[in-house]
Amino acid sequence: MTKIYDVHKRLFLTLLLIGIFLWSLSSVTWNSDLVHGSGMDTLMEIVTALFMPDLSGEILTVALESIVITVVYAVAGMSLALVLAFFLGIFASGILAETKAGKIVSSSFFRGILSFMRAIHELVWAWLFVASFGLSPYAAILALALPYAGILGRIFADLLADVPKEPIESLKLAGASKWQTLLYGYLPQVRAGILSYVMYRFECAIRSSAIMSFVGLGGIGYQIQLSLDDLAYNEVWTFLYCLIAMVLLIDLWSRYIRHSNAASAAKQWFKFLIPAALLSGSWIYIIFVQKAEFLSLFSSENLLYVKEFFSGLAGLEEEEPAFLSGQAWMEALQLTWETLKMSIMAIGISAVLMMITVLPAARNIADGSLILQKNWYSQLLYGIIRIIYIFSRAIPELIWAMMIIFVFKPGILPGALALALHNFGILGKLCAETIEDSDERPIKNLAVAGARKYQLLFYGILPSVLPKFLSYILYRWEVIMRTTIVVGFVGAGGLGQQFKMSMSFFHYSSITQLLLCYIVLVFIADAFSEGARKAVK
Amino acid sequence: MKAFKIGFIILLLLLITACGQDNSADNSDTQEQETFKIGAIPDQDAAELSRSMDGIADYIAEETGLEVEYVPSVDYSALVTAFDRGEIQLAWFGGLTGVQARNLVPEAEAIAQRPRDEEFTSVFIAQSDAGIESLEDLEGASFTFGSESSTSGHLMPRHFLMEAGITPEEDFDGVPNYSGSHDKTYKLVESGAFTAGVLSEAVWESAISDKKVDLSKVKAFYTTPEYYDYNWTINTVDDTFGDGTKDKVKEAILNMGSGQADYLDLFQTDSFIETQNDNYKDIEEVAKQLGIIK
Repeated sequence: MTKIYDVHKRLFLTLLLIGIFLWSLSSVTWNSDLVHGSGMDTLMEIVTALFMPDLSGEILTVALESIVITVVYAVAGMSLALVLAFFLGIFASGILAETKAGKIVSSSFFRGILSFMRAIHELVWAWLFVASFGLSPYAAILALALPYAGILGRIFADLLADVPKEPIESLKLAGASKWQTLLYGYLPQVRAGILSYVMYRFECAIRSSAIMSFVGLGGIGYQIQLSLDDLAYNEVWTFLYCLIAMVLLIDLWSRYIRHSNAASAAKQWFKFLIPAALLSGSWIYIIFVQKAEFLSLFSSENLLYVKEFFSGLAGLEEEEPAFLSGQAWMEALQLTWETLKMSIMAIGISAVLMMITVLPAARNIADGSLILQKNWYSQLLYGIIRIIYIFSRAIPELIWAMMIIFVFKPGILPGALALALHNFGILGKLCAETIEDSDERPIKNLAVAGARKYQLLFYGILPSVLPKFLSYILYRWEVIMRTTIVVGFVGAGGLGQQFKMSMSFFHYSSITQLLLCYIVLVFIADAFSEGARKAVK
Repeated sequence: MKAFKIGFIILLLLLITACGQDNSADNSDTQEQETFKIGAIPDQDAAELSRSMDGIADYIAEETGLEVEYVPSVDYSALVTAFDRGEIQLAWFGGLTGVQARNLVPEAEAIAQRPRDEEFTSVFIAQSDAGIESLEDLEGASFTFGSESSTSGHLMPRHFLMEAGITPEEDFDGVPNYSGSHDKTYKLVESGAFTAGVLSEAVWESAISDKKVDLSKVKAFYTTPEYYDYNWTINTVDDTFGDGTKDKVKEAILNMGSGQADYLDLFQTDSFIETQNDNYKDIEEVAKQLGIIK
């Protein structure tokens, strides 16, 4: 009986989500007016340039230099994030607490901190840090470190809390201290899980580091922005290819770490050498080449600016702060509403694109091992779709938005499209891997029993993978919600666009107001998505 | 697991040494503090701007004996913030950004401008075949400003549009776009991305004389009345760099001439003349009316 209920619950949720998506589409008037007069010509130019990147020595040198800075910031930010996540994660998991009450207090307090850290997008953090510390590399590094520590810390805490308790108990019985149980009981059990997640996050950190240029902190994003300003699309693609190459390298590296069973000592060393070299190289670069001084961030002068900045945000220096004005609230709420619609449209479009492409993108379907039939074109199709996925996810939303804004008129549609373009590749990769990892036996049985392709699809593959798909879609929706503000920066509508305006005009209290709306929106999305994911489990 | 632990220890060590390093750097790096930094709003081609500003930095260094460095900025407000924080000593601002900066640093002073900045104008452009001949015709067209912080690319054009009875947020086809720079504005109109736009007349002229714009595709249809615009604004520098620094820098700028033609060319001028804070009262007034300055 419960089983039937479960099935219906999922169906109900799916229908509800589809309904919401269709409703969000209705908020755009669909006609040719959405595209600029010669938007299609611009699109063609961008696509043509894709095949003709500028490979002159000058551009390549610039690309190489700026990708180094991008990687350096990403590594430094990630290393700080790891340290923060390690300690915050342990406290948030509550495993060190003696009493049950202590556990609840510690875990809810630190989980609260972690969720605040990750609710705010790294670019918004960056802007806050630049405004208080000035243009120091540490502004970029801290801006990366905080939200990433928030995400990693939560995952770490979840893993720690879910550890099987038997080995821990036996360690305790043997007289191990609290730190010994942590070191020899908990940590070894979560190591594999956390490692692969850290690698995935490192890939994201490279992209985040790339867009830090938007607040004035260098890196490859700055070069992309300059080239886009000159409408030099072939240069843009050169830089984007560099970014794609970085993402691929990290992908390879992470695959190597996860799949190589490091038996030999040489392999062990090699595994350890890469991160050590990256880490020391990055910090040496920041400290000795860029001569960034960490302690100078906390000079009395800076303290004054921080104080001034926050009293500005609190509206102390304005006669009528925005958050006391009813009209300003009306406008902010209107934008919040638009932003919500943008996020739903974005996840809907990426989910639809993913569903269309995901089957041929799964290796075990492409090579015929799962469905026991094979076409001459399936391998080719697999390759093409996987390449599209890589392009899609390697390019940050913000940069997609900067290009799309040339084709579509400003508004929520270009924002939604930019978010969808980036997330479609991520969803596609995650979901294709789900199919690859799914239990093959029932499907093979169906295939042997003579089921046709569409029957295999509806009775074999989809039922086993859909719950997981749904939870990935909900999870990406959370991420999209957080990113809506960023695509708005370049004119793609919603809260972000107004945020950028208020920043330019130094209207601090209206920035606070928009940030409040944004954070509430992110928290609501998180809560809804978490509830819905529990329901489909 | 072992590698994991070692890695973690190294990471901690690195962090500790990183902090230690900062201590010593803090004391010995006073030289760094004394560099006189100049900036400019990134309102046109960044590569060209870098070239001319580097030249001007070298020139001021030569004339004043200071160590001068040009620091590029990504957007207008970043430069204003840096100026406010004393990270930039001398900046080439637009009318509005100058007013914003001097509001934040009341002792800052506008010291020089180009002759053309006394009688600056913006020019409205449109695609040649769009049939747009006057501001009123812009109703229903898609439109792009320059940077939202630009005087000639946004503030004054918005003012003149409102006077002509056009409310940008309501009367255009969709909301107006903010391209970010003057060069990008005409490129976007030329490429067809937007039907019409507005930019500084100076940039438009040089685009025409350098043949960077295809006049068969884009045409100018309206030039605004004159207003004050760009200026060199100097921060409170006498405290840090010694009394008389402000005057020395001002003199150096006003003395630029044919010897510095290479980088003056990129500013589309052959000299700089004196100016003063009061010249920008009108701009402040308009910015207040439009709610940009509160």
